[in-house]
Order: sequence, then structure tokens, then C-alpha cells
Amino acid sequence: MALPLKYNVRNVFVRWRATLATVLGIALVVAVFVLVQSLAAGLKRTSGNTGDPRNVLMVRKGSTAESSSQITREQYRLIPYLPEIAKDASGRPLVSPDVLVLMMLPRKEDQGEAHVLFRGISPVGMELRPQVRLVAGRWFAPGHREVVASRRLAARFASFELGDRIKSGTRELTVVGWLDGGDSAFDSEVWMDADEARLLFDRQHYSSVLARAVNEAAMGALTNRIENDRRLPLRALPEVAYYQAQTLTAMPIKVLGGFLATMMSIGAIFAAMNTMYASVGARTREIGTLRVLGFRRRTVVLSFLLEGAFLALIGGVLGCLLSLPLNGYATATIGWETFSETVFRFTITPALMGQGLLFAVLMGLLGSLLPAWRASRLPVIAALKSL
Amino acid sequence: MSIETFIIRNALRNKRRAALTVLSVAVSLFLLVTLLVAMRELTQPPEDVGAALRIAVRSRISIANLLPARQRAVIERIPGVEAVSPFSFFGGKYRDEELTMFAQFGMDPKQLRPIFGEAKMPAEQYAAFEADQRACIVGKITADKYGLKIGDRMPFTSTLYPCDIQLIIAGIYSGTIDDRNVLFHHKYLEEASGTEGQTGLWWVKAASIADMGPVTSAINRAFANSSAEVRAETERAFQLSFVSMLGNIKLFITAICSVVVFTLVLVSVSTMSMAVRERFRELAILKALGFRRRELFVFILAESFGLAAVGALVGIGGALVLFTQMDMSRVTQGIMLTFEVTPRIMGLAGLVAAGLGISASIAPAISVARMSVVDGLKTLD
Repeated sequence: MALPLKYNVRNVFVRWRATLATVLGIALVVAVFVLVQSLAAGLKRTSGNTGDPRNVLMVRKGSTAESSSQITREQYRLIPYLPEIAKDASGRPLVSPDVLVLMMLPRKEDQGEAHVLFRGISPVGMELRPQVRLVAGRWFAPGHREVVASRRLAARFASFELGDRIKSGTRELTVVGWLDGGDSAFDSEVWMDADEARLLFDRQHYSSVLARAVNEAAMGALTNRIENDRRLPLRALPEVAYYQAQTLTAMPIKVLGGFLATMMSIGAIFAAMNTMYASVGARTREIGTLRVLGFRRRTVVLSFLLEGAFLALIGGVLGCLLSLPLNGYATATIGWETFSETVFRFTITPALMGQGLLFAVLMGLLGSLLPAWRASRLPVIAALKSL
Repeated sequence: MSIETFIIRNALRNKRRAALTVLSVAVSLFLLVTLLVAMRELTQPPEDVGAALRIAVRSRISIANLLPARQRAVIERIPGVEAVSPFSFFGGKYRDEELTMFAQFGMDPKQLRPIFGEAKMPAEQYAAFEADQRACIVGKITADKYGLKIGDRMPFTSTLYPCDIQLIIAGIYSGTIDDRNVLFHHKYLEEASGTEGQTGLWWVKAASIADMGPVTSAINRAFANSSAEVRAETERAFQLSFVSMLGNIKLFITAICSVVVFTLVLVSVSTMSMAVRERFRELAILKALGFRRRELFVFILAESFGLAAVGALVGIGGALVLFTQMDMSRVTQGIMLTFEVTPRIMGLAGLVAAGLGISASIAPAISVARMSVVDGLKTLD
């Protein structure tokens, strides 16, 4: 017969002073685990959020990012005439060549400098990226040296307030608006007129070309046609897939998170073992009584394992709650694909919390395994006599 | 029985608990040391021997913007400049690798010895490198990793330039802080990629330390208000600008360190309280025998401090031994180079352990001080 769960649950609460530290320790381990992994999840969500499923992106074969790709004007001229490309109401093909430029700019409050990705974009290009909205000011006027910065970058960099001038030597740009990319990679960009960008930064070539396919069936045909065209040394792929493949930045964070969680959990398991051993020690007589009443060894083991798991679960829940206030908080680091400041948010998903709880329970089980074993092996008579 | 033996016996009477406490302190301090070392290495990257005399000149716009070759003659004429070399990051993928963990740079082979003198190679390898435009030299770490020898071919596909190149190894160098990179002829890069007359950046060697300041500002002035403005800075400043790009990393690691320390305190306090609660009755007897509160506090403090000290010894010592013995640059694929456990970091971790030992004894000491002898004697558990 199994021991009622109530027995263990009540025991955890009766000895709350002894278990509190262990519960808090496990809570902190889980909080660190969830938070670090939520950074990786935030990066993943940002790149997963980006792009329109009907768009095809083209970059130079061999290049891994738009910012390091070059497409010559001769190559670009061939693209609008491909039959799979959609046209707008006036019969204009929905194709946009973009120019991407990095600028080294100072952050706010002496937080050093970082590269910012500037995208020279055409009106068609803006139409092709409907997830980007203007949230303050106005759009840049074609032919003017004006930029619209992401509002998340504006929060981090020194000269992105409306009306501010960004200077780089003799070059000068005026900030006229803020954009919001809806938690996509565009939140890490500054947009300006494509031709102005090419003139200002002395670029002969485009960086990438974005095109809208007529329909979903045409996507494959379009990418195939471009990949197989000998005149076009380009790589074409769905825009969504291009952004999803940007996982380089999240990788070291994941590794760090794994390392931290492992090391901290070892410490927490020792703490849990201490608590559970003390708990077993203090209940020696109780355990003897249970055995005399006819409860079997394996029942006692199971009961103490459950108690450890329950204790850890409380810690896990507490840890998840501790981490939640940071959910949605925006931060940034260098994106290894673009080599520029990449904004993303702490993203605590239900799956992540589930993993945190599972991790906590695992710590509890490992920590209570040996104490539970010991409890079941106590000699019954001696246990009953102990004080 | 002397007081010392009394304390030691007390600490070890529950050997399992003592061991678990020491281990949890050790693991946490090991983690703390690891994080501090990693943070130091990231925010203050190790310097090369020759770094003090080197100046990096890059485009004012960003590192990704190319500079015109005509600038070289201007820089060379500045007094105090000893040598100038173009230097371009090729961003190549080696063979079919998804992610290549070493860099390739195009540069002027004749300027290798004057500017990067710490790279040591036999004289005939220098000569062979200079003689063949397709030749390259490889750092020892990379050569060992791939089992490369002189005469081998290295094919690369660039992620930045629209070209593939194939290099022939003319030499294997060692002696720099990070012997991983591949160096090859800038001329070959320009011809293969069609970027004649352009370079990623300039490396400049100043004649003496006194020349560093004047040369740096002279270079900045020389191209001010031109179409290709530059930013000249010391190698150190150049390195640190990359660190700054990492963003909030310092804050992030500091936050995690604090959480680790806090968890550590929690766990130790609870263990100490457990140890004291277990022998409340004995402590009451000691009180009844005439031991004073102060003396009881010393017993508890000494025990807790001793356990923390042993934990510190194991954790910090373990980190020191592990990181000195292990080749961290290989383990981390070159992300971390020296991973040096400095005396300062060890001191800081030791201080944390000491504070821990003291703070863990306070709560139990207070409850012992408050207890009345009669109540203490009555305690059962």
C-alpha cells in the first residue's frame, strides 16, 4: 500500500525552516536556467518572426548574410522579368534591390560603440515588408538624407531621437521617424532611401534582392530558376527560411546556459541531499513506526523520493515566477550573421517553464535518492528506540 | 581535549553533511571563478607582445567599409611610421565546413616581420611566403588541428568577397597570442575578388612608444574631410571596440555571479543552522557548565568558517589546477585564449568564501545566545 501523498506534503511544510533555503536555492537555479534560455528563445523568436511567406530573398552565392552580399546592377536587371514574380496593380514587378551598410555608432550613456545595420530600401521594398510600421514621425522622403530608425535601437543609441543628426565625417543623416518591426529582425535596422544610401556610402552594387512570388506554388519555381540561371551567381531562398537559419548568435548563449545550469544544479543537488538527509534523520522513529505498521521498503523509498520531488517542484515554480518579470525585456548583443547590434527580448515560453520545472524535479529526485534509500534501510527496532 | 579538537570533531561528527556542505561550496566557488575568468577574458582580451607599437586604421563608417589603397603612401610618409600593411578579413569557409573557427587575412608579406614580429618562423619559410603570390602561412594551432604541413593546399570560399581562393602553405608560425590565423597575399585577394585598390584596414607600426600618440592623430588628420575618413587607434582600443559590440555581457555575467553567491549563502546558512539545531542540547549543557555566549559563538563560527575554507580550497584550487592544465583555447575552439585564473580573482573568490563562513554562523549563533539553558536541555530533536 502506498503512503498517502498528504504525509509528504505536510512534512515539507512542517519543516519549512529547514527546507526554505533548499527551495530557494533550487528556485534560483531554475530562474537562471529559464532566463538564459529565454535569451536564446528570444533570438529564435525574433528570427522566426521575420519575413513574409510569399517573398523570396536573393543574396550572392557563398555569402551568409545580406550585409556581406553583393549583387551587381547587371545581375539585378535580369530579375524583374522572371515570370514567377508578382506585379502590383500598375503592372510593376514586386522586386526590391536593397543596400545594406554598417555604421559604427555610440550607444547611450557611454555604453561603448556598436555597429548598426542601415538598410537602403525602395518603396516596393517597404511594401514587401508589411510587418514594419511607422510609430513616430514620418517616413524618409526619397532623395533626401533622412532615416527612420527602429524604436528599439532608438532606446539604445545616442543619436536616434527624432530630429537628431547622425554624423560620420562629412556624411550627415537626419532621423525623421521611428519604425517598429513587430519583434522581427527589422527591429535592429535603420531604414533610408536606397539610392541615397548607395550615393552616400559609395556603393556600386546592391546587397540583396527581395521579390514577391505570384503564389505559393511559384516560390519553388522561382528559387529553382534563379539557382540554375548561369547568368545569376545568386542564392535564392524563401525570406522566412533565410531568417530562420540565423542561429549563430543564439548558439553560445545556449552553451553558456547549459553550462551554468549544470554547475549550479550540482550545488543545488548537494543542498537538497543535505536537507533530505536531515529530514530522514529527524524522522527516524516515524519511519520505524511506518515499517512496523507494514509499509514496505520500496513504499518508503518512493515516499521520500516524492517528497524530494515535491520540494523541488515548489522551488521550480518559485524560480519560474522569479524569472517572469524579465519576460519581454529588450536587450541586445552583436548578431554574428549581420555583425551588428541585434535587438531581442527575453522570451519565456510555456515550454521553457515546463523544462525549468522538469529540471527542478530532476534535481529533487537526484538529491533525495540516497536519503530515501537510507530511510528504507533503517533497522526497524533501533529506529523505534531512537529519540 | 583541546578546544581545537573539540571544534574539528564537532565539524566532522556528521561526515556526510560536512562533505556535502564542502562540496556545494566548492562547486559554487568553482563556478564563480569560471565566470569571473571568462568575464575578464572577454572584457580585457589578452594582448600580443608587439601590440604596444601597433596602430589599426579603419574606415570611420564601420569596419565593414573598405579603404582606398592610395592612403598607404600618405601614411608611410608620416614621421614615426615604420611599416604599413593592408589587412583584409577574408571570411572564408575552409573546405566544406559549416563554420570555420579560424580567420584568414590578406596582407603584405614583406611587412609581416616588421609589424607582426612575434610570429616566429624559419627564415626560409618567410622567403617562400614572400616569393609565391598564392602562398600562405598558417598558425600552429590550426596546422595541428587539421594535420597540415608545408606544401598542402587550403581551399576557401569567402562569405564576404565574391570569390573562392586556393592557398598553398609556405610556412607554419607560432608565438602570437592566438596561433590560429591564416595569412596570405593581399595582392592575390585583390586579383581574385576584383577589389583592386581596396583594403579592409591598415596596420601601422610606430617606431617607438613616444611616436604612438602623434602618429595616431596624424593619420586621423590626414584623411579628415576626405571621401574615406579613417579612425586610427591603438591595437588595444581596436580590440576593446569589439568587446563593446558584445553589449550587455558584463552586466549579464555580473548578475549571474551575484545569483550564484546568493544561492551559496542560502545553502550554507541552512546547513549551519541544521548542524546547530541538531546539538542544541549539547550547547545548552556547555552553557550550563559555564561557557559564555562569546565562546559558543566562536565554536560555531570556527566550524562554519572551517567548512567554507575547505570548500574554497577545493573549488578555487580545482579551478586553478583545471584551467592551468587544460588547453582552454582548444576546448573553447579559440573563443577563450588564456583563461588565466589571476591572483585577484582567487582573492575575490576567497573573500566570498570568508564572508560566507562568517555570515552562515550568525543566525545559529543568535538562536544559541537567545536560548535559555532549561529550554535547551529540554530540546529533543
